[in-house]
Amino acid sequence: MRRTSAVAVATIAATALTLTACGRGGSGSTASETGKNVGSGKATGTITVWAMGAEGDKLPTLAKEFEAANPGAKVNVTAIPWDAAYQKFTTAITAGTTPDAAMVGTTWMGEFAGNDALDPTPPSIDKSAFYDGAQKSTEVKGTSFGVPWYVETRLVYYRKDLAAKAGITTPPTDWAGLKAMAKAMQTKAGAKWGMGFQAGGQGSWQSIMPFAWSNGADLTKNGGKGYNFDSPQVLDAVKYYQSYFTDGISNKAAPATPTTEPDFVSGKVPMFISGPWEMSAVEKVGGAGFKDKYDVMQVPAKVKSSSFVGGSDLVVFKKSKQRDTAWKFIQWLSDPKTQVKWYQSSTDLPAVKSAWQDPAISADTKLATFGKQLETAQAPPSFPSWEQVIASFDTEMEKVTKQGADPAAALKTVQQQADSIGTGQ
Amino acid sequence: MATTTEVTPRGETGHTSPSPRRGGAGMRAVREGRAAWTLALPFCLLFLVFTAWPVLQSLFMSFTDTKSRDLRSPFSVNVVGFDNFTKAFADPVFRKAALNTAYFVLIGMPLTLGIALAAAVALDKGITRFRSAFRLGFYLPVITSIVAVAVVWRFLLQQDFGLINTVLGWVGIPGPNWLGDPNWAMPGLILMASWRNFGTAMIIFLAGLQGVPWVLHEAAAIDGAGAWQRFRHITLPMLRPTMLFVSVTTSIGYLQFFEEPFVMTSGGPLNSTISMSMYTYKQFGFGNYGYAASMSYIIFVVIAIVAAIQFRLLRDNT
Repeated sequence: MRRTSAVAVATIAATALTLTACGRGGSGSTASETGKNVGSGKATGTITVWAMGAEGDKLPTLAKEFEAANPGAKVNVTAIPWDAAYQKFTTAITAGTTPDAAMVGTTWMGEFAGNDALDPTPPSIDKSAFYDGAQKSTEVKGTSFGVPWYVETRLVYYRKDLAAKAGITTPPTDWAGLKAMAKAMQTKAGAKWGMGFQAGGQGSWQSIMPFAWSNGADLTKNGGKGYNFDSPQVLDAVKYYQSYFTDGISNKAAPATPTTEPDFVSGKVPMFISGPWEMSAVEKVGGAGFKDKYDVMQVPAKVKSSSFVGGSDLVVFKKSKQRDTAWKFIQWLSDPKTQVKWYQSSTDLPAVKSAWQDPAISADTKLATFGKQLETAQAPPSFPSWEQVIASFDTEMEKVTKQGADPAAALKTVQQQADSIGTGQ
Repeated sequence: MATTTEVTPRGETGHTSPSPRRGGAGMRAVREGRAAWTLALPFCLLFLVFTAWPVLQSLFMSFTDTKSRDLRSPFSVNVVGFDNFTKAFADPVFRKAALNTAYFVLIGMPLTLGIALAAAVALDKGITRFRSAFRLGFYLPVITSIVAVAVVWRFLLQQDFGLINTVLGWVGIPGPNWLGDPNWAMPGLILMASWRNFGTAMIIFLAGLQGVPWVLHEAAAIDGAGAWQRFRHITLPMLRPTMLFVSVTTSIGYLQFFEEPFVMTSGGPLNSTISMSMYTYKQFGFGNYGYAASMSYIIFVVIAIVAAIQFRLLRDNT
């Protein structure tokens, strides 16, 4: 009995193997596509839009205004929790049950477009209205598949009061200046650690790459066809990053759960690199008046200051039956006036450059610094395999910061792994 | 379905009350067999569709280079033979994951079973008044959500103000950076896993202990055996079948070591806590379905081998 079932299993498996032995044809990827035009006139019909987190909760209110301007149209917003979103999208793409339009994370664009799920952006949308780095995040192999909705970038947060104590009144603009400032925070202002850099591990590329980009690094080579991690520009940045740990300015045994906000408020770690959401986070911990005790500055330059640009894009899926209405809704969300309204209800920073002229945003000096950084901030290459490749980068960087591994050897390993994984296109 | 014209009388419950009026024993066997198959059919169908088929499919997948985009066009994948398996054995991260899993099983499982047995013996013999309260207390971690447990333990293991290091500090031992130090992350996770899991084994040991005949202890005591000797020569041998069951189920659970590193460390620092299951999960997440499927079959084979060894070592020879 047992014997026969084993034979049966083997037979079925063997049949399956022979049946599918034909193999994958060409590369499976298509050349650059062009978006079709969107019809004129008012939008009609019902569309479903997926949005994550706070955006999913707040978008329905804004969508009501769109419905008021387009009486024949209805927008159904489905709120999705962030941690389930990636799974839900990949399942929907595989099963062909995608919504009409959706908000997607910028680093997912490559994979979704690579799966042939996204509709190319119609020519009626002016791509130059957006921040360049954000616009690049929608482009996969030269085709734009969506528009940037909101953006974020990373700046250096520092304690103004402690910097004054350390004898620094103007924020540094070059690498040596930043390191000297961090050191002075320890020696003159009593900080335990000068700079709160992440000691490798998941997501640490987001604080290392700003230095590589500020050094003029290009993470792709061969005309954007392959990864490029072992360039002298990246190596310089990693060496610089490592020196903070070897010189005792950053904590190589940083706790697994970061305590950024309390450490910043207490002055234990008076500098770190992060995005705009940290403003409300540190002010909440710091209490009244803390707003004036800290400031933000651009990532110091070696060649030119640059940083990481993140945020979310808006896309329309190929399977959508209401393609025109979906694009009209997205176009309406990209209007500078709508973008300012959206900032006021969600505090998401506008991806449309002209929206930053509005006094609601331009009056805040810290926000203005974010706006300035956004002009030069860059997105990582939109290869479908980015998430996988960068995981090995994060692991290697952990060896560099914690164990003092050789940066050149570490980057060589990353490059080898990136080459063997490929771009996924 | 029914080819026989004979209607089964209501209340007829098969073999319990054989009726001499109808057919012979052979006829009855056929009827009973048919009824059994009819009753088993729904399960068989569900099993085939939702268990057997996916198992076969993933087995097939493990011999292909299936990626996420191939799911919509399954006929475009390439059969690569044993490439995925050789790749896994050469993959430094998978090897590290296998070592970590072995570390977890070899240290964690005996620790868990030791604590469980000690707790069970104490509850079996010790104070009877609070027995159920203790039983509940020891079992509570098992039924608590692992995520809640992990979040609390992350605070307990915190280097500067965590409870564990604070207590160590009282006796003059400087506590390590539990989850941040590659050498201490694994002991930290094992500590947590043992605390969380020993309750299950304890309950089963308790049941086993209650099955040990009291007369044996009494006889041995009359012959002058001490408490330890009675435990060593009566309780332990009598617990052998229980021990087999508990060690097999615990080691299967520990070989599938996943939630603890997933919530507490996400495999870090420096891959020091990544497990085979977690690396498999990561590869699925990256869309490398073929590679991940081959890894899950490697885990399956390892579990089968470990269980076979335990059966051989602890089998009841009577």
